[in-house]
Amino acid sequence: MATRHSIGITARTAVLSLLMALATLSAILIAMTAFADYQRVVTRLVEEQNRALMAASRLVQQSEGLVGSSAMLVLADSHAQRRQAMFEVDDRRAWIESLVSELAQLRKAPEDFDNIRQISARLGRRIAELNAMVTQRIDLRGALAQGVPSNLASQALLAGIEVQIADVMRDKRVLSRDLGIAVGFHTGAIREEIQQTVEALETSISQRKATLTMAMLGVLLMLLATVAFIHRFVAQRVTRLQHAMSHARPLSQALDYRGGDEIACMATTIGRYLDRINDNETRILAMNRELQFLATHDALTQLHNRHHFDRVLNEQTATLAREPYAVAMLDIDHFKQVNDTFGHQQGDEVIREVARQLREAMPPPALVARLGGEEFAVLCQTGDPAVLARRLDTLRCQLARTPVVVAGQKIPVTVSIGLARKIPGSDVQACLQAADDALYEAKRQGRNQLVVRRLRQDDPEERA
Amino acid sequence: MMRYRLGRAILCLLHFLLLPAMAAAQAVHVELQLAPPHLDPTLTASASTAEATYLNVFEGLTAIDREGHVQPRLATRWGLNQAGTALTVTLREGVTFHDGAALDAQTVAFSLRRLLDPETGNPQRHLYRAIDRVEVLSATRLRLHLSRPDALLPFRLGLSAAVIVHPATAATNHLHPIGTGPYRVVEWVPPERLTLALRDDWRGAAPGIREAHFAFTSNRQKLQNGLAEGLIDLYPDISSMASYLQFARRDDYRIEQGEGEGEVILALNHARPPLDDRRVRQALAHAIDKTALVKAIYPAASPTLIGSHFSPSHPAYIDLHDYYPHDPEQARALLAAAGVGELTLTLAVPPTQYAQQGSLLIAEDLEAVGIEVALERLDWTEWLAQVFRAGAYDLSIVAHVEPFDLDIYAREAYYFHYDSAEFRALWERIERTPETVARHALLEAAQRHLAEDAVNVFLFMKPQQAIHKAALGGVRQNAPVPAVPLEELYWK
Repeated sequence: MATRHSIGITARTAVLSLLMALATLSAILIAMTAFADYQRVVTRLVEEQNRALMAASRLVQQSEGLVGSSAMLVLADSHAQRRQAMFEVDDRRAWIESLVSELAQLRKAPEDFDNIRQISARLGRRIAELNAMVTQRIDLRGALAQGVPSNLASQALLAGIEVQIADVMRDKRVLSRDLGIAVGFHTGAIREEIQQTVEALETSISQRKATLTMAMLGVLLMLLATVAFIHRFVAQRVTRLQHAMSHARPLSQALDYRGGDEIACMATTIGRYLDRINDNETRILAMNRELQFLATHDALTQLHNRHHFDRVLNEQTATLAREPYAVAMLDIDHFKQVNDTFGHQQGDEVIREVARQLREAMPPPALVARLGGEEFAVLCQTGDPAVLARRLDTLRCQLARTPVVVAGQKIPVTVSIGLARKIPGSDVQACLQAADDALYEAKRQGRNQLVVRRLRQDDPEERA
Repeated sequence: MMRYRLGRAILCLLHFLLLPAMAAAQAVHVELQLAPPHLDPTLTASASTAEATYLNVFEGLTAIDREGHVQPRLATRWGLNQAGTALTVTLREGVTFHDGAALDAQTVAFSLRRLLDPETGNPQRHLYRAIDRVEVLSATRLRLHLSRPDALLPFRLGLSAAVIVHPATAATNHLHPIGTGPYRVVEWVPPERLTLALRDDWRGAAPGIREAHFAFTSNRQKLQNGLAEGLIDLYPDISSMASYLQFARRDDYRIEQGEGEGEVILALNHARPPLDDRRVRQALAHAIDKTALVKAIYPAASPTLIGSHFSPSHPAYIDLHDYYPHDPEQARALLAAAGVGELTLTLAVPPTQYAQQGSLLIAEDLEAVGIEVALERLDWTEWLAQVFRAGAYDLSIVAHVEPFDLDIYAREAYYFHYDSAEFRALWERIERTPETVARHALLEAAQRHLAEDAVNVFLFMKPQQAIHKAALGGVRQNAPVPAVPLEELYWK
């Protein structure tokens, strides 16, 4: 019933599991996207910034190398050496130009490189001049070596060339230095950018780490929540249910019906079942009690019946053998005449009244029974027999004095009583017989008598 | 089910995240000195195109393996009839081009007819002149009818000039090559770089290399720097590099000592007087000190000196390297006899290391006998256009790497402009002579003829020294044909 309009355990567990899965998944996704981002950044670092840095440093390296190659050119003594140096210079210049283009493209600011390009172009022109001068020098020296008569003009020319070469070299060194400085600016800028990228990456990593930690905490919390939920809403309740059921007499009131889920539904069912069982048990017990009463009591007087009286005597044989007791037998005198005169119904009322008064007169522990018809028996295990005798006699006198009123009619009633105390050395049956004998004696003496049996010489000795 | 899917999603994510790393582990950076003029090996004599595309992008009916032997490729079987006048070829089944087009006998027939068609302009067409007609027998079989027996035909069908192309893409292969090979072109940025990637549907066993980055640079400074920084995994020709010994000592690199098929010559333009005068050409041959030349170019190799256009590995080879011994006096005398006074020659220098190094010494040697030399440095495209195709040059230094290409001296309008009816007749006799002894005798005569005529100055056999990362396996030691077959490479 409860499940019809509330969420069951399955649904709640599913929701919790889903939340946990979502938290886990989001943690994984955070990690994945972070990896992807880092990969992108690293790729960019390698692809662009690292490439740019490498290009810039190669550019610096090559512009320095150019000075060395130019020195080779200046030192060339032959055309072969000059050409070799020029090959090297050309290779370096070609590479410098392609590096400048690459760098300009990577730095996305071609105008920044105009300066570098201008310096490079001027360097190129200077090198071409240098090459021409060195060629001239080699030719002149060759001519002089081959014996062409040395004259002042050629000497002066050679000296002039040397001076010019020195000038060009100085200028070239300045240009190379300028190139190095210009490129150095970009190297610094790229390094700065790389530093910034790395710092941004570090910040991002820290942030992602925090997010990831939070996500992991979320996962952990969800896990704990699921465990707590199962513990509280499933395990604990099932245990309580089991605990309540393990009582000798489990009661439906002891069950916990809260929750409105499958377990609550089950508790309700169990509770109803328990109620039914308990009701049935109560009814059975009541019936049992009634049966028990009927089996041991007299229906008319509500006193114990003969069957019960005999059973008690049997059951108590051992006790009675040890303890003192007295047995009284009581019989309503001339009861047949009452019945005949007033009718059986009135007779029954008389019996009931005598029974009531007998019960009231006897001390509560005394066993009072109707043995049948108008005959009663009393087993009294406490008190002085003399006191019992006085009480019985008082009852006899009171009955004789006060007629029983039934339906407005006064019915005079007397009783005869025989009382016997425990006969030492004999069993209770002997005592009963003795009381019966005393009753008979009371009847013989004219009725409305109490006869107490006296202990006699021939009574057996009480065994120690 | 949901968990399964989630697991798969996570695996997919991991896969995509890790894939770049995996691809990087299976990539190789190959540096080549010469940039291909374009990417169709059937339309250029430049070995650079073959180096990048042969057996990678394109395949022939046969293939030349690392030892120079013929192996089946797109053809699984071939057989000659008894008379040697018909070659029957059975094709491999299930072969497709990169665009998904299937290979069949019709495609192959188209490809071979295109090769033989003078209009196509295949520079190696003459090698296949024996093929008279191509007949399609079935979807997987075809017959080549020959005008004369040609024992070398299966070998020639394995050369890069005879790779099989598809009619639908043949016209655009030079820009967007579509072949049957294991790698497809991902990006081509001429003249700087070419990227190849393993095709997903490659029919053979998965090669160790998934991606290849070819870079083309002839700038010695840049090349040296790239090697020094370890940016290059394979560079097939380090032999003439001045820093060779430094690299030989490095633990991360290995150098393969191999043999190539390239004859390095000082090409002479016979169309430009006075180079049409045999005495002048002989003077040039005497002027050049080949021994000193190779010593200067190669710090750690001693290439075989040659005296004619013929490979010493061929059984018909005769040693003519000292046919014109280094003799400047003789050279001057020959020049004087030819009536040459002041002479200035331009030496066109292609961007190869050996050519650049060699040109310096050749210029010095020639200047020593009174010839003024101007060096003209050209990039590879310029060289192909100006020297090879237009024939506009005086001298040039270059390696002819095509195996057994003696016939170039019989061709009309080849860039040497050598015009000898006698040699042409000799070559025709060679082609018609299948019998080995007689054929070899004729080949010897041809070698001698070229030497006597001093058609070019025959210098030396180009050494084949590849440098590669120590962890890179499968690098070819010898270069029987120009090729860098990526399929054979792997990372250890």
